[in-house]
Amino acid sequence: MLTYDVYHMPTSLEEALTLWANAAEGSRLVSGATDILPWAREGRAGDVHLPEMVDVTRIPDIDGYAFEKGRIRLGANTVYQDFLTDVTLMRSLPCMPYCAIWFADDQIREQASLTGNLVNASPVADGTPAVVALNGEIELARLDGGQIVRRRVPVVDFITGPGRTQIAQDEIATAVIVDACNGFGGSFQKVGLRRSLVISVACCAALVKTDRDGRVFEDVRLALGGVGPSPIRMIETENSLRGERISHALIEQVAQAAADRVGSRSRQEYRREVVVNFIRAALEDALTNQPDIDVKFEDQEEQINA
Amino acid sequence: MPKLRIEAEVNGRKVNRETEPHKRLLDFLRDDLNLTGTKEGCGAGECGTCSVFVDGKLVKSCLMPAGKASGAKIETIEGLAKPGDLTPMQRAFHKTGASQCGYCIPGMVMAATSALRENPQADIEEIKERLGGNICRCTGYTKIFEAVEIAKGVIAGTVPETALEEDTVDDSFIGANVRRLDAPSKVSGRLKYAADIKMPDMLQMQVLRSPHAHARILSIDTSEAEAMDGVACVITAQDVPGTDGFGVFVHDQPIMARDKVRHVGEAVAAVAAEDLVTARRALSKIKVEYEELPGLFDPGQAMDPGAPVIHDYARDNLIKHIPVRKGDVTAGFAEADLILEDDFTTQQVEHAYLEPEAGIAYVDPDDVVVVISPSQNISHHRHMLAEIIAKPINKVRFIMSPVGGGFGGKEDMIYQGMLALAAMKTHRPVQLNFTREESLIASAKRHPSRVHYRMGVKWDGRVTAIEFDMLSDGGAFGMSSEGVMRKAAILSCGPYEVHNLKVDTRVVYTNNTPSGAFRTFGGMQAQFATESMMDMAAEALDMDPFEIRRVNMMKIGAKTHTQQTLETASLDRVMDAAEQASRWEKGAPRVRGATRKDLNGPDTRQPCTLGARIKKASTDSDESERVA
Repeated sequence: MLTYDVYHMPTSLEEALTLWANAAEGSRLVSGATDILPWAREGRAGDVHLPEMVDVTRIPDIDGYAFEKGRIRLGANTVYQDFLTDVTLMRSLPCMPYCAIWFADDQIREQASLTGNLVNASPVADGTPAVVALNGEIELARLDGGQIVRRRVPVVDFITGPGRTQIAQDEIATAVIVDACNGFGGSFQKVGLRRSLVISVACCAALVKTDRDGRVFEDVRLALGGVGPSPIRMIETENSLRGERISHALIEQVAQAAADRVGSRSRQEYRREVVVNFIRAALEDALTNQPDIDVKFEDQEEQINA
Repeated sequence: MPKLRIEAEVNGRKVNRETEPHKRLLDFLRDDLNLTGTKEGCGAGECGTCSVFVDGKLVKSCLMPAGKASGAKIETIEGLAKPGDLTPMQRAFHKTGASQCGYCIPGMVMAATSALRENPQADIEEIKERLGGNICRCTGYTKIFEAVEIAKGVIAGTVPETALEEDTVDDSFIGANVRRLDAPSKVSGRLKYAADIKMPDMLQMQVLRSPHAHARILSIDTSEAEAMDGVACVITAQDVPGTDGFGVFVHDQPIMARDKVRHVGEAVAAVAAEDLVTARRALSKIKVEYEELPGLFDPGQAMDPGAPVIHDYARDNLIKHIPVRKGDVTAGFAEADLILEDDFTTQQVEHAYLEPEAGIAYVDPDDVVVVISPSQNISHHRHMLAEIIAKPINKVRFIMSPVGGGFGGKEDMIYQGMLALAAMKTHRPVQLNFTREESLIASAKRHPSRVHYRMGVKWDGRVTAIEFDMLSDGGAFGMSSEGVMRKAAILSCGPYEVHNLKVDTRVVYTNNTPSGAFRTFGGMQAQFATESMMDMAAEALDMDPFEIRRVNMMKIGAKTHTQQTLETASLDRVMDAAEQASRWEKGAPRVRGATRKDLNGPDTRQPCTLGARIKKASTDSDESERVA
């Protein structure tokens, strides 16, 4: 059971940062609260008493999103459901709707923020590989002599291990900045035990862009979650696909090679098999989801005849 | 402690209240506003019994700090329709019978309402997706989806409103759709389950549970907890005035652990306090000294010499052995052309009813101890409690509150005794609501079983003899074990006439979570073994699995395993119907494979996918852009 003495709902970033800087030790920042309440229960943290909770969801400064030089700055109050309801976001971040639809359920997605998911830094957070594939950075703000100071950290570096990040004690995450990937096909793969509300055993996000004829990989982004203490960006796999003729054989080959490089905290053999299937499925799925392009596999006929 | 002020609009009315800062929206609605149609099934966002609208969006109120509701517009199940009225969705749930225990139903109605508010044209796949965060355990989803489809049509005007009315019944109720009498109370959230009931001056109880599987209790020091402000009483086994011990067959379970604990999660002490938080804090002040004992976790070792003894009265740890004998198995096996032998195991299963255990006890002005709980066996509980609290039977009363799913799991009196003791000690009403975790750890489970099976068959498929030997894990207490073993033995060899059989079912004590009653009551474990053996025999004999069953099935005049002569039998018709409905392709099991013609027929469930609405959204937007 979670108890606390005060629940703050600041209405400006400055107020939030001041409250946070002065909050008693052990206080927590809270966004959607969909993770902290189940955490403070028997079998996990048990009964927890916190002095203060600082809720960031009433801060208008971190609402909404904005385009900036080919990137999108997603305010920290962007929730998962936004990736399923906002058509602009769906188009610009093609892996996010697929990530969102497998994340919890409609009701939790209305509350759960992408930023909160990243800051919690669970090794199996669904949002992490998707944001890493989008070259995501997290924006962190703090007060310095009464002024708001911000810095940006690539998400792939920000998460340093299970529950561990580079956020400083007095900082609040205010945004996630990602590439706008219009025209890419997106995919998100996840294994778990139930359709809704399941925590990933492992997950994988992909973004693919081909030439206009659908024959050559122009750009590929791949990231894995749940196969190590922090997210993994599959740079070598991406490089071995970029500029190559699209074929099932090539996808199979890079998927096998990728699995050789992936470590895991547990169930290694299982996760290896999952990684091979993930990468293959994610790439093929992302190719299919690419808008307005009919992809032609070099070995398409061969596949049909076989 | 500073208070939290909440100003909000709830079901169209302004609310301005102070409450505890740590409350969840669920607690604020239920405790402060008495809106108990919103239920707590898990407290962890998994089940959806607590779904409410906040500013038009459906959320799980167990995952929302109450502070977030400030300034918001909240709509609960009570606010969907005017008092005494039902929305088309609620009427559709009534129509299709989409309310059995009813505990998940307010949340389901909310999720269904949300689905159609978000997309009035949602197809069935999208409806399923949007209801994905809500779990049902007994109604089943088919009736719920049927209801949503009818409501969708009525709301859209494509289906006449008469579709919501009860079907007319002609000459016979058999085969007719008859609406449930209690459905309106369930679909409207008005039905009060035990956790929804409040009484003036009521205390909240919390239970200290054993962290050990097997340990001697050296001492329990409750003094610090008892001295706490707001604590009304602490009870332990010492407070039992009569003969302690309950159970469906053998009264081997004390109200709270007496001298030793036998499984993780066994109740050791309980606190009744002014509020839940105080009661939970008081638990942490109770000091229990344990001396750990060797644990027994493998039922296979329970009867070994030198195994830890769980109950002194049963030195061999045997709770019950049920033997059934018929014919001459030696002769039967001698007659067989082929003898098959195998082992089958099944696992522990939790009932997972949506309503966690809950109850209230109080002492009425005539000194009658009254217990309200969703007990599946109140008369038996009443007799047992009278002995335990040393009262004549007319001074003990049990009231059965609506059962939010039981499936056998609420047959055992695992908390009602504690409530009675606390009520007697304080003369105040006392309520205990289990958390989901507590329900999992303390309630009985389906018996894990091991069956060693021998079956003799003739080349024509006729079974000549069966040896069926089942060992079940009863866990720490007897509960319904004896009955489960009887049923397992009676049903052991299935609906097949076998002239020579030797059946033994045994259940033993271990330090695992107790096993008890669960739908089929032992039949499932036995049938898993028997039906698997039938399929394996069919494979070995190159026979169609339906055919081997027809050769052996009980017909009119057949003698059951316990030698009852059947005057009616319908298995032939059941098998014909099953064969037809499954479009079964005749042949021995070895012909199974991807080429079977009975696969992927029209009623086959497709693999689950998600995301139909993603593609639809991008197509829709393309169209709208073109228009613009």
